[in-house]
Amino acid sequence: MRKAMTLLIVIILACTTVWAGATKEEGVAATTGTPKDTLVIGVAQEINEQNPMMQNDQINNNCFVLTHERLIFVDSNNGYLLSPELAESWEWKDDTHLVFHLFKTIKFNNGTPLTAADVAFTLNRARSNDPTKSKISGTLKLITDVSALDDYTVQITTSAFSNELIYNLGAYPLVIQSKAAYEDPANKAPWLVGTGPYRFKEWKEGQYVTYEKRDDYWNAAKEPSIASSITFRFLLEASQRVIALQNGEIDVCIDPPTTDLKFLKEDANITVHTQAGTRLFYLSFNVEKAPFDNQKLRQAVSCAIDKQTIVDIVLDGRGKWQTSVLNRGAWSFLDNDQVEGGYAYDVARAKALLAEAGYQPGQLTVELFSATDDPYKTIAPIVQANLKEIGINVVIKSMDQATLKTECANGHQQLFLWRWNIGARVDETYRELFYTNFPTNYAQLKDAYVDQMADKVLTEKDPEKRLQYSHELQNYFVELVPQVPLYVPDLVIAYKKGLKGAYLTGGGAHDWSRAYIEQ
Amino acid sequence: MIPTLLVTSLLIFWAMDLAGGDPVNQILPENATYEQREILREQMGFNDPFMVRYFRYIGGILSGDMGKSYISGLDVFGTFMGRLHMTLLLGGSALIFACLISVPLGIYTALHQNTWKDTLATVLALFGVSMPNFWLGLMLILLFSLKLGWLPSGGTGGIQYLVLPAVTVGLSLAALLTRTTRSAMLDVIRQDYMTTAKAKGASYRRVIYNHGLRNAMIPIVTAVGMQFSYVMTGSALAETVFGWPGIGRLVVDSINKRDTPMVTGSIILCCVLMAIINLAVDIVYAFCDPRIKAQYSGRS
Amino acid sequence: MSKTRKTIILEGEEIEIYKGRSMAQETWRRLKRNKGAMIGIIFLVALMLATTVASFVYDYDKDIIAMSKDRFMPPSKDHILGTDNMGRDIFARVLYGAKYSLVISLGSTAIGLAVGLFLGALAGYYGGLIDNIVMRVTDIFYSIPYIMIAVVVVSMLGTSTMNLLLAMALGTFSNFARIGRASVMTVRDQEFIEAGRAIGLPTWKTIVKHVLPNCLSPIIVQTTLKVGSNIISASSLSFLGVGVTPPTPEWGAMLSDGRSYIRSSGWMCLFPGLAIMFTVLALNLLGDGLRDAMDPKLKR
Repeated sequence: MRKAMTLLIVIILACTTVWAGATKEEGVAATTGTPKDTLVIGVAQEINEQNPMMQNDQINNNCFVLTHERLIFVDSNNGYLLSPELAESWEWKDDTHLVFHLFKTIKFNNGTPLTAADVAFTLNRARSNDPTKSKISGTLKLITDVSALDDYTVQITTSAFSNELIYNLGAYPLVIQSKAAYEDPANKAPWLVGTGPYRFKEWKEGQYVTYEKRDDYWNAAKEPSIASSITFRFLLEASQRVIALQNGEIDVCIDPPTTDLKFLKEDANITVHTQAGTRLFYLSFNVEKAPFDNQKLRQAVSCAIDKQTIVDIVLDGRGKWQTSVLNRGAWSFLDNDQVEGGYAYDVARAKALLAEAGYQPGQLTVELFSATDDPYKTIAPIVQANLKEIGINVVIKSMDQATLKTECANGHQQLFLWRWNIGARVDETYRELFYTNFPTNYAQLKDAYVDQMADKVLTEKDPEKRLQYSHELQNYFVELVPQVPLYVPDLVIAYKKGLKGAYLTGGGAHDWSRAYIEQ
Repeated sequence: MIPTLLVTSLLIFWAMDLAGGDPVNQILPENATYEQREILREQMGFNDPFMVRYFRYIGGILSGDMGKSYISGLDVFGTFMGRLHMTLLLGGSALIFACLISVPLGIYTALHQNTWKDTLATVLALFGVSMPNFWLGLMLILLFSLKLGWLPSGGTGGIQYLVLPAVTVGLSLAALLTRTTRSAMLDVIRQDYMTTAKAKGASYRRVIYNHGLRNAMIPIVTAVGMQFSYVMTGSALAETVFGWPGIGRLVVDSINKRDTPMVTGSIILCCVLMAIINLAVDIVYAFCDPRIKAQYSGRS
Repeated sequence: MSKTRKTIILEGEEIEIYKGRSMAQETWRRLKRNKGAMIGIIFLVALMLATTVASFVYDYDKDIIAMSKDRFMPPSKDHILGTDNMGRDIFARVLYGAKYSLVISLGSTAIGLAVGLFLGALAGYYGGLIDNIVMRVTDIFYSIPYIMIAVVVVSMLGTSTMNLLLAMALGTFSNFARIGRASVMTVRDQEFIEAGRAIGLPTWKTIVKHVLPNCLSPIIVQTTLKVGSNIISASSLSFLGVGVTPPTPEWGAMLSDGRSYIRSSGWMCLFPGLAIMFTVLALNLLGDGLRDAMDPKLKR
C-alpha cells in the first residue's frame, strides 16, 4: 500500500518538477532582475500578428516600429509634421503622381540593401484584395499603380488627388518589407525581414515577445538605440502591471489603473507620465431605425448625458469630454467652446427636447448594446441612469465586441457604445464612421451633405478652405447628433525614473526603439 | 471516447456557429472593405452550409490540422500544447498541495472523531468548500501581495509565482478531499476486519495504516480522479485571476473573442486530456486495490 | 423505522402517506439535534427575510443602481460595508443581490433536477439504446470542465440572467441523471414493480409512485448541496463576464467590478465574497445535516 501511494506521489512530483524546470528556464529571460541595457514593457494586450500588413492594431504596431521602417515619419506630437525615414524626400509631380526618393544606404536585417523594388513590392502587395496577402487594401483604394523608376525612386500613381495619401503611407502597417525575402522559398517568415534597429527574437504565446538590437543598423544619422533587448510582457490585468512595475519586474507600465496612481506617485522610483489621448469613446445611435431616426430625440439624449460624471467615474477625472465627433488632437478638431451651439448636459433642456420629439417621459424603452468589458460595462449603467432621469428607460444588452460589431454593422442596434481612434487622417472619422454605406458606418447614416463634405475635405488643396470645410462638417454633426461623443481618456504611462528616449503618442503608437533606463 | 469527441466537437462547433459575431470581423481590421470581406468569406468557406464546414473541420483534424486562431493566426494545436504545461504545473502543484494537507488531516480527524479538533477541522473544511476559489485568490492577493508584499500577484516566472495560484486551486480541493478522506476512514474503521486485526494483537498504528488506509485509499483516489475536472475549472478561474497563461484562460479568452477554431480545438483537446487523466487514475487504482491488481497480474 | 417499512408492503398506498410523514418527522427530529444544520437553516431563513425586507426598503432605481458622489467610501457609519466605484452602497447591493444569486441557483438546480431525473429514470427503466444515449450525453458533461460548457452556452445564447440560469441547468442535470438512473435500476426488477405492471399501472405511475420515493434522500441531499455549488458557479461565470448584465447587483458581478479596485478599495471585493461564502456554507451545513439525518446506516 505504502508503495502504491509513494509511487503515485513520486510520479506526480517528478512530472511537476520537470514542468517547473521547463517553465523556469523560459521565464528567465523575462523576469530575472533588469540589467540596465534591457527594457521590459508591461502591456495590456498580447500581440496578434507579425506581418505588418495583415493587421492594424496599436499593440502590433508598437513592435513593427522596432523592426521595420516607413517611408516617412509622421510626428503625432507635433501637428503631424512629416520628416524623412526611408525616403529622403518626396513630391507630388502632378495631381496623380507622388514620387519618393529613397536613402541609398539602407540595409535589411539580413544584410541585403533596400531598393525601390522593395518599396513597390510592399505597396503593391498591400493593395492586394487577397486577405492572405494583405488585410489593409481598403485604405489604399486610391492608388492605381506603384512602380520603381530607378533603384532609389518610387512613383505612386493615384486615381485622384488626396490630402491624406501621404499620411496613409506613413502608417505602421505599410512599413517596407523585403521583396527578396518573399521570393525566397526557404524563408518561412519573410515579414520578419525589416530595416529597423531591432530584430525579432522570440514570441512566447501568452507571456512575452522579445526583440534584440541590431549592430548593423543602417542609419547612423539617427540617435542610436541603447537597450540591447526590448521585451513586451503581456500583463492583461491592470493592477498586476502596477505591482510588477513596483517590484521591478518591468520598467514601463502602460495604462496603470487610475485608482492605483496614488500608490505610484508615492513611489520615489517611479514617474507617472500623462498626456492628452486621442481615442474617442462615444454613445451612438442607429439613425435609420425608430426611435432614433428622430433628430430631436437624439438631441434630447445628448443633453441628458452627464459627460463630466462619466469621466470622473470611469477615468477618475483623467480625460476630457467633448462635443465634436472628431478625435481630440486630430487636425481641425473643434474644442467644446469652439463648436456652434451644441447639446451639452442640461436636464431641463433634455426634457423639453424629448417633449418636442413627441415622447412622454416613461413612454420610451430602448436597448443599449454594450461590450462586456471595461470601460463599456461601467459607462452603460451611467448612460442608463442619465436617460432614466429624463424618462427614457434603457435596457442594457451586454455582448462581446465581435458580436457587437456584427450587430451594429447589420443595423440591429438602437443605442450602442463604441470607440474610434484616428491619427493624422480625419477621413478615418468622416468616411469610415459616417460615409453612406461604409462597412463601419455603424450609425447607418446616409446623408448626402456629409458625403460631399467628406470628399471635399479629402481633396481640397487650399488649406484654408479645407480647414473651413472640416469645421463646417463638425458643426453639422453637432446639430445632427449621429453620436454623442463622450470623452477621450488621457494617455497614462508609469515608468522607472530615468527612462529616456521614449517617443510616446496620445494615440498609443509609441516608439521604444531609442528608449533606455539611465542608471 | 471517439463518439464522445465527435458529439462534443459537433455541439461546440454548432454553439459557436449560433453565437453571433461574424468571424470576418475578427480576422480583418475593422475598416476592411465589403469587397475584401466577401473574398475572405469565400476563401475560408464561411458561406458554405454548416455541415460542410463541420466535416471540413473534422477532416482537418484527422489530417492533423486543427486550424488557426482567428485572432492570433497561430496554430491551435501548437498554442494549446504551448500552454498545456502551465496548466498541468498549476493543477499538479495544487493537487499535491491538496493531498499533502487533506490525507493526513482526514485520517487525523477520523481517528479523533467527535473531539473539538475534529469539529474544528471539519468546520474549516466546510468553509473551504464553500468559498468561490477566484474570491479566495483575490483575498490571497490582497493579503500576501498587496498588504504584506511577500508574493507576486500574478504572471509567471520562478516558483514564487506558482504559490498563490496553486494554493488558490488547492485549498478548496484540500477541503473537499479532507471530507472524503475522513468519511472513507470512518467507514473503514467500523469494518469488522479492523476489529479482527486489533483482536489479533496488531499494533494500533499497523492496523490503521496497513489495513485502514489501504482500504480507504480507493474512495480517496476515486475522489482525486473525479476532481480533475474540478481542478481544470478551478484553474480556468485562478488563471484569470492571476494572469497565468494556461489553457483554462485560453479557452475563456477565446470564447470572449469568438475565436471559434481555438475554442473548438481547445475543448476537444481538453476532452482528450481528461480521458488520458481518467486512464491514469484507473492505472493508479490497480496499484491501490489488491483485487484489481490481482486481475491484472493474474496471480494470487 | 423497520416497523413502518413492513406495513407499507403489507397495506399499500394509505400507509405510504403515513410513512412519508413519519420519515419527514424522523428526519426533522434528527436534524434538530444537528447544530450545524440548524445554524444553516437559521442563516438561510434570516437571509431570505432580509432579502425580502430589502426589496421593500430599497428602491432598485434609487438605491441599487443610481450613482452618487460618495465613491470608494470605506466602511463607516453611513455605509456599513462602504461604497463602490459608482458610489453605490455595498450593503444594499449585497442584500438585494441575494435575490439574484438565490433565484439563479435555485432555478437552475430545479430545472437540472427535473430534466436530469426524468432522463435518468428513463435510462434506468428502459435500458438499452435510451440508456446508452443518455449516459453518453452525461459523459460529455463529465469530460469537459463544466465552466467551459457554461461559457460557450452563455456566449451562444447571449448574456442575460435567464441564459445564465439555463447554462447552469445544463451543467447540473448530468448529476441528477446519474442518481435517477442508479435508483431506478436498483428497484427496476423488484417484485413490487412487477406487481404494479401486472395490475396494469402505467409505467410512469409506477416510477413516480414507487421508485422516486425510494431515492428521495440522495436527491434531497444532492439538491441542497447543488444549490450551494450553483451559487458559486453563477458567481464564477459573472466574474468571467458572461453572467448578468450590468448594473445587476449579482455577487459575482460585484466581485468582478471590485477586482479592478482591489488595491485601493479592497472592501469592494471582500463583502460580496463573504456573502457567497456564508450562504454556501449554510447550504452545505444543511446538506450535511440532511445526509446524516437521512442516512439509514447512522440510525442506531
